[in-house]
Amino acid sequence: METLSIYAPKLVTNKEYIASGHRACSGCGEVLAVRYVCKALGRNTIISNATGCMEIISTPLPETAWEVPWIHTLFENASAVASGIESGLKSLKRKHGYTKEVKVVAMGGDGATADIGLQSLSGAMERGHDFIYVCYDNEAYMNTGIQRSSETPFGASTTTAPSGKNSLGQHTQKKNMAAIAAAHNIAYVATSCSSYPFDIMSKVEKAMKVKGPSYIHILSVCPTGWRCASNLTIKLGRLAVETGIFPMYEIENGKYTLNIDLPKLRPVEDYLKLQGRFRHLDKDITAEIQEKVFDEYNKVKRLAAGNKAK
Amino acid sequence: MKQGDTIEIRWHGRGGQGAVTSADLTAMSAIHEGKFAQAFPSFGPERRGAPVLAFNRISAEHPIRVRSGVVKPDIVVVLDPGLVTLINVVDGLKPGGCLIVNSTRSIEDLQGEFSGDWTLAVVDASSIARELLRVNIVNTTMLGAMIKTAGAIKMDSLTEPLEEKFGARAKANLEACHKAFDTTVIGKITVGGQKKVRTFAVAKQPTWSELLVGCAVTDVGSTKRFCTGDWKSQHPVWDDKKCIKCGICSLFCPEFCINQQKDGYFRSNDFYCKGCGICAQECWTQAIKMVEEA
Repeated sequence: METLSIYAPKLVTNKEYIASGHRACSGCGEVLAVRYVCKALGRNTIISNATGCMEIISTPLPETAWEVPWIHTLFENASAVASGIESGLKSLKRKHGYTKEVKVVAMGGDGATADIGLQSLSGAMERGHDFIYVCYDNEAYMNTGIQRSSETPFGASTTTAPSGKNSLGQHTQKKNMAAIAAAHNIAYVATSCSSYPFDIMSKVEKAMKVKGPSYIHILSVCPTGWRCASNLTIKLGRLAVETGIFPMYEIENGKYTLNIDLPKLRPVEDYLKLQGRFRHLDKDITAEIQEKVFDEYNKVKRLAAGNKAK
Repeated sequence: MKQGDTIEIRWHGRGGQGAVTSADLTAMSAIHEGKFAQAFPSFGPERRGAPVLAFNRISAEHPIRVRSGVVKPDIVVVLDPGLVTLINVVDGLKPGGCLIVNSTRSIEDLQGEFSGDWTLAVVDASSIARELLRVNIVNTTMLGAMIKTAGAIKMDSLTEPLEEKFGARAKANLEACHKAFDTTVIGKITVGGQKKVRTFAVAKQPTWSELLVGCAVTDVGSTKRFCTGDWKSQHPVWDDKKCIKCGICSLFCPEFCINQQKDGYFRSNDFYCKGCGICAQECWTQAIKMVEEA
């Protein structure tokens, strides 16, 4: 049994830093992403978590699912609180001889990252605090009942961008948060997906080595908000990557690397047809989405190829 | 809180099962009949699969001023068969009130669960919904049973709200409603007729003086006490002959409840498993099957 060495239980630590008994929907991809991120982060971590699904489901007072120091912040200030913790640790080291290496991590959903918390995130990255920001992108405000955010993809039906006779749902394109983070000239930016545990873990490990801010954007499948069966969580995440809708790449000191470079992308229909939020889309719109996906994918591909040439 | 002729209904269901829609439809039908009505849900941070409540108040004569949750209902409707043994569904139910349950169990069997002066109605709504709607969402089906037993609204007044809410799917829903109306079995519950007295755990909430500053929680990982296992309608079953012990099920479990046993095979912890079915979907050798909860 040569292949025994690649078996999953041997590759991943058994230790969990978020406990069972959390109140996430059945089939939640976001809590899976949190689990992988925490496994990679390990014990010496302080997490500042913005309001959102992960806060609601993990800490129903008087209980908590977290096994690392964790603080609940508002939507808009997860990064500001993380900045404060990081500065506090620095000061402890300077004045009181504190020696432990503690990683400060800010977490938030797409709403807390791309909409409400963007200013504090931008500020923290600009000031160069030594922290990791992890965005769990489930493409809408799922916690409060599926309201659109700026990360909601074109054509998706949400409760505040509903599809109907005169509307195809969300009519704007998904905000490119990774590019916004990269524009701050930080050392490490990456995108990943909840269906690729080892990819998430290796990216978090890389981010931990960086001195200064780093940003990881994780697409997290949400069966409730995407209106799909709860057992399709992993499959949909893979499809998002295989269709090129969500390319997984890293930007290290401005250099792009495409992590999964597919010779041929799957048609977007494979991804769209499994989800109720895209059910209303007709052929023309699907073709439009397909074209846009090629454009965006090729853009990333060109950037990655440009690096190789150098 | 009695307010003249106000009828109060409490719906017990699970997130995603449609208890809230049931309450909405009931209120819309009552308003359609020219009555005054309220419908509103009540749930905590829990999600799809977790027990939820929905409430109705209906009054033929006057506007309803009360806005609080229903604690002394006239009618209790239970959408999920498992909830009867999990939650004290008859809590506060008025003498002479109605209890309507979705269950495959016989009426005699269910009569032994309760003690009080109530009417009991039983309908196998899950089977009806699966047959006519092809999903186990029993909200409209249970409306049929409620109309037959308690008559809080009329069947005819339901048609328009159904069409408004469901559009093309209204017809099948109405059919399910009628079938439930025809197959509901009605009986009596008597005081002292209970065969087995159950006790229900009540979650203890700390008072303000017991909370630490900043609502700090020092008991790490304490959600482990909480049973999320009762949210599920299916559970995974392993076929060890097909299992190659790869552990992909354990890696992709969002409840982190699949563990390797001493013999190397994997099993889920039913105390936490929410029955999402990811393990069965992702198993390379298809060694895992999802089996309906009994």
